[in-house]
Amino acid sequence: MNLYTEQVLKRRRRIIGIITAFFIIMQLLWIFVPVIFAVLWSLVDPDNPWSYPDTFPKVLSLAQWKYVFEYTNILRALATSYSIAPLATLLAFVLSLPTAYAIGRKQFFGKQIVSNLILLPIILPGMVVALFLSRVFSMLGLSQTYIGLVIGHCLMGMPFMLKILITSFASIPQDVIDAAENLGANTWEKIRHVFIPMVLPGLFAGSIFTFITSLEEFNLTFVIGTPTFETVPTILFSFLGYHFIRTNAAVVSLILMIPNIIMLLVAERMMKTDYLSASLGKM
Amino acid sequence: MNREKLNIFLFLLPGAGFILFFLSSAFVLTILQSLGLFALIGESHFTFDHWKMIFEQEFRDSFMFSLKVGIGSSFGTLLFAYPIALFLRKKGFGKKTLGSLIKIPLFIPALVVAFLIVNLISYHGLINSIFMGLGIIDEPIRMLNDQFGWGVLFIQIWKNIPFQLLIISSSLATIRDDLEDAALNLGANKLQVIGRIIIPLSMPGILVAVILVFIMTFGDFAITKVAGPVYPTSMSVRMLTEAMTFQEWNRAAVMGVVIMATALIFVTFYTKIAKILQENAK
Repeated sequence: MNLYTEQVLKRRRRIIGIITAFFIIMQLLWIFVPVIFAVLWSLVDPDNPWSYPDTFPKVLSLAQWKYVFEYTNILRALATSYSIAPLATLLAFVLSLPTAYAIGRKQFFGKQIVSNLILLPIILPGMVVALFLSRVFSMLGLSQTYIGLVIGHCLMGMPFMLKILITSFASIPQDVIDAAENLGANTWEKIRHVFIPMVLPGLFAGSIFTFITSLEEFNLTFVIGTPTFETVPTILFSFLGYHFIRTNAAVVSLILMIPNIIMLLVAERMMKTDYLSASLGKM
Repeated sequence: MNREKLNIFLFLLPGAGFILFFLSSAFVLTILQSLGLFALIGESHFTFDHWKMIFEQEFRDSFMFSLKVGIGSSFGTLLFAYPIALFLRKKGFGKKTLGSLIKIPLFIPALVVAFLIVNLISYHGLINSIFMGLGIIDEPIRMLNDQFGWGVLFIQIWKNIPFQLLIISSSLATIRDDLEDAALNLGANKLQVIGRIIIPLSMPGILVAVILVFIMTFGDFAITKVAGPVYPTSMSVRMLTEAMTFQEWNRAAVMGVVIMATALIFVTFYTKIAKILQENAK
């Protein structure tokens, strides 16, 4: 009997293993085929166009990359994107810290409502929010300004920052704080030796999320920034929408995508808790 | 107000206050402008006139198109995400690798996803080439900028599978194994366990996953603009045209209110149905 069940279990495990392997191969195709095609399109040689019925381009070159960097506004867009993102992240952090502390560690009336309301920027339909925020921004004189973009990007990234920081604050065991108090720690010492070390991983994760949200932000940038400011996503949109130039779009897609993936892989390596599920899973 | 309460209020102000200030003013402004008030340029007076646009043919076409994309993407994604989540629920060799592979599209910006998939489904793209090579079809199928919106659906599903998977997985993780074991011991088969225990208990996760994807895709601008049909356009595309091209902000506001109201109605309606289904399963 025992032997029999063991055999059944073994066979079952093998079947599940085969299904897993099959899924992994399917998944690799599902994800990497589109990415490889984007890479190929970015390497097409202008003198040997890749056209139907060739399955692969005949000659590969870096000419498209050179073209994009020489003749489009990509460098300025990169500078805008990568200067707004850290500023928006910093602002989001400064604004989120007290609120996250209050929601994570204090009991008060309406706590559930507040923790749902702070998710609104990512739950409400993006373009509606963007379009009418642009009206609010123009009343405040923030439309078509750099500060306006920083505030807008901060607003879109803050739900992630808040959510992750709240989880970090809530997960500090009360006894650690009590122990510190019993040992005579004052507020500053408590902050320095208890709160900061325990919130640091969450802060790191929240910052990466906010940073990436800012780099990817399109709707709001398109409405309140165009034509004064161009970021990498709005340039990509112009290549995809108004005048579809596939090779240029391929280059800009890769410029937009590769740093994100690297950052998230690094972040996932460095963090023990699965912050991705912590921030998205329990919405 | 005592001191403790004041303290909490002051702590909430920078974070929650910041978000609420901007979002509620945008929200109120949308509603007021849809009623002809608060026009930044020109005169403002209270009127329902702008709401007459909802009877226009173009408006209806856009609304139906967005509704189709929203429902198609949210449930279409669920069709893939839920079985994968079930499969990944129990630990097994290679499943961790599979899990992280599936997550990758989550890290790819929407516009890039649109571009990646456009390459595959365009007229002379990979999928058409493969099908033609295998002799399944004689002529390429039009999947990009097609009348129905298959291209948009393809992109949305590709992009949203990992998003739904994460939400559903974390709700499946809360189901205790002993419930399943008990049912199996009492003679239930696998399908009954899934239908009677796992699906009802993971309903909150399914709800959130479907609702969030619906709201995102119903109000989508960029992906429909890139891969959607020339006519009808999605609600958001039409709204932006009204506002930016024609400077018809009141009409744009009407569309904004309709988009938000539809999201709200969908949430209420869908939550009710899910609750009824859940009760019946018990």
